[in-house]
Amino acid sequence: MARKSYQEKLTELREDILYMSEVVMERMRMGLDALEQKDDALAREVIEGDGEINRMYLDLEQDCIELLALQQPVASDLRFIAASFKIITDLERIADLAVNLGDYTLNAKEDLFPDVDVQEMGDLTLAMIEDAMMAYDTEDTDACRELADRDDDLDHFAERASEIVVRDLIERELESPAEVEALLQDVSRLLLTIRDLERVGDHAVNIAARTLYMVENDDELIY
Amino acid sequence: MTTNGGGSRTVSTPESSGSRSDATMTDNAPLGSPRVDDAVIESRGLDVFYGDDQALHGIDMDIPERKVTALIGPSGCGKSTFLRSINRMNDLIDIARVEGDLRFHGKNVYDDDVDPVALRRKIGMVFQKPNPFPKSIRDNVAYGLRVQGKDDGDVDAKVRTALERAALLDEVEDQLDSSGLDLSGGQQQRLCIARAIAPDPEVILMDEPASALDPVATSKIEDLVEELSEEYTVVIVTHNMQQAARISDKTAVFLTGGHLVEFDDTNKIFENPESDRVEDYITGKFG
Repeated sequence: MARKSYQEKLTELREDILYMSEVVMERMRMGLDALEQKDDALAREVIEGDGEINRMYLDLEQDCIELLALQQPVASDLRFIAASFKIITDLERIADLAVNLGDYTLNAKEDLFPDVDVQEMGDLTLAMIEDAMMAYDTEDTDACRELADRDDDLDHFAERASEIVVRDLIERELESPAEVEALLQDVSRLLLTIRDLERVGDHAVNIAARTLYMVENDDELIY
Repeated sequence: MTTNGGGSRTVSTPESSGSRSDATMTDNAPLGSPRVDDAVIESRGLDVFYGDDQALHGIDMDIPERKVTALIGPSGCGKSTFLRSINRMNDLIDIARVEGDLRFHGKNVYDDDVDPVALRRKIGMVFQKPNPFPKSIRDNVAYGLRVQGKDDGDVDAKVRTALERAALLDEVEDQLDSSGLDLSGGQQQRLCIARAIAPDPEVILMDEPASALDPVATSKIEDLVEELSEEYTVVIVTHNMQQAARISDKTAVFLTGGHLVEFDDTNKIFENPESDRVEDYITGKFG
């Protein structure tokens, strides 16, 4: 009976992590919507909801520790728990980056750089998280490797976006010190947003890397 | 000598390493890495029968020198039979019959010109239940020397050395003339280990040496096994998979009916075994 209960606990852990990923993706979506629609209320909802994600993370961390301590898992079970332990950290960090989107929304003034499509970049990152979690759930190693390639595209996207902002900034003719100050803050926020979304992609690749290790004992994407 | 001809088993070649599927066997090799460069014991197609029942089927593996090799598997899988085959303890069972090769430094221990008593001087054994003689601690250890012809007058020094190597001397130094039976279970087992290593064997076989001990005594035995492997080759049968994972360098997994299914570095067995059956066994899905 003890081992039956152990297998049930492993199944529960997987389901709970998938649930956490759904909540995290929802927060990312809300953060992106808040930024696009300049919706301060939605932004505050994302910021205030972070405590809930942190609690989920701590509960799942405790579940992993208990399984390690009480069941002494080995082989594929051990790799599953070790991978899950790392994946929940990535999910928690993604939620922190969604909170950043909320912060940027509350401080953003106007859309100064219409050529930089933050929403498109956000959609790419959201799709990457969704696919990484699907790969974790279905143990799809091809999808894991494919995600690493997609992250290269995202990195190029982020690089181009940052370049557009900097070039645009150079070409502007600013008149007063106050105008320069205000613009600098907006530019800084936008560059941070681009960097944050690029990092969400990195976390999606981390999830894929841990999944690949979990399924095939392959550390190719980790190191 | 005959070789194994029976049953379908599994096999791995270097090319197939990493494959999770069990293929039909074409030779005696189990999955994993059954060959090592520094083998002190080599089993080749070893079959053991008890009357008409075959307890081991074509066991083919190497045991590396000065390492700890763990034999694990469910009850009745043949791991203790294999252990006892190494120093011909099965000779003591009338209906036991052995075929195939079991080589110690390249010499088949079942050759007619091998003296089992001399063999057991080089390959000592520690049993599941501590079995000290009803004699003093000193005489328990000295017995091993005397019976094996090593009582050359410096017995006291050798007794102390053996007790020290068995991590027992500090605890019994002032009571060497007290009965061995007055010691705790864990101390008695270390006394038996001292008795086994006093004649300075090369290999120590251990048959579940900690299964009758409490956790504190068990951890002392586990520490001791690791220390002993610096000077001796240790082969240990254990039902406790975590113990095998903690203390061994190599692990052999025997499964139902006396088949060695996989043999490899211990971390490989417990992190990513090749055989699905081994995976199911060590994760508790059967057995």
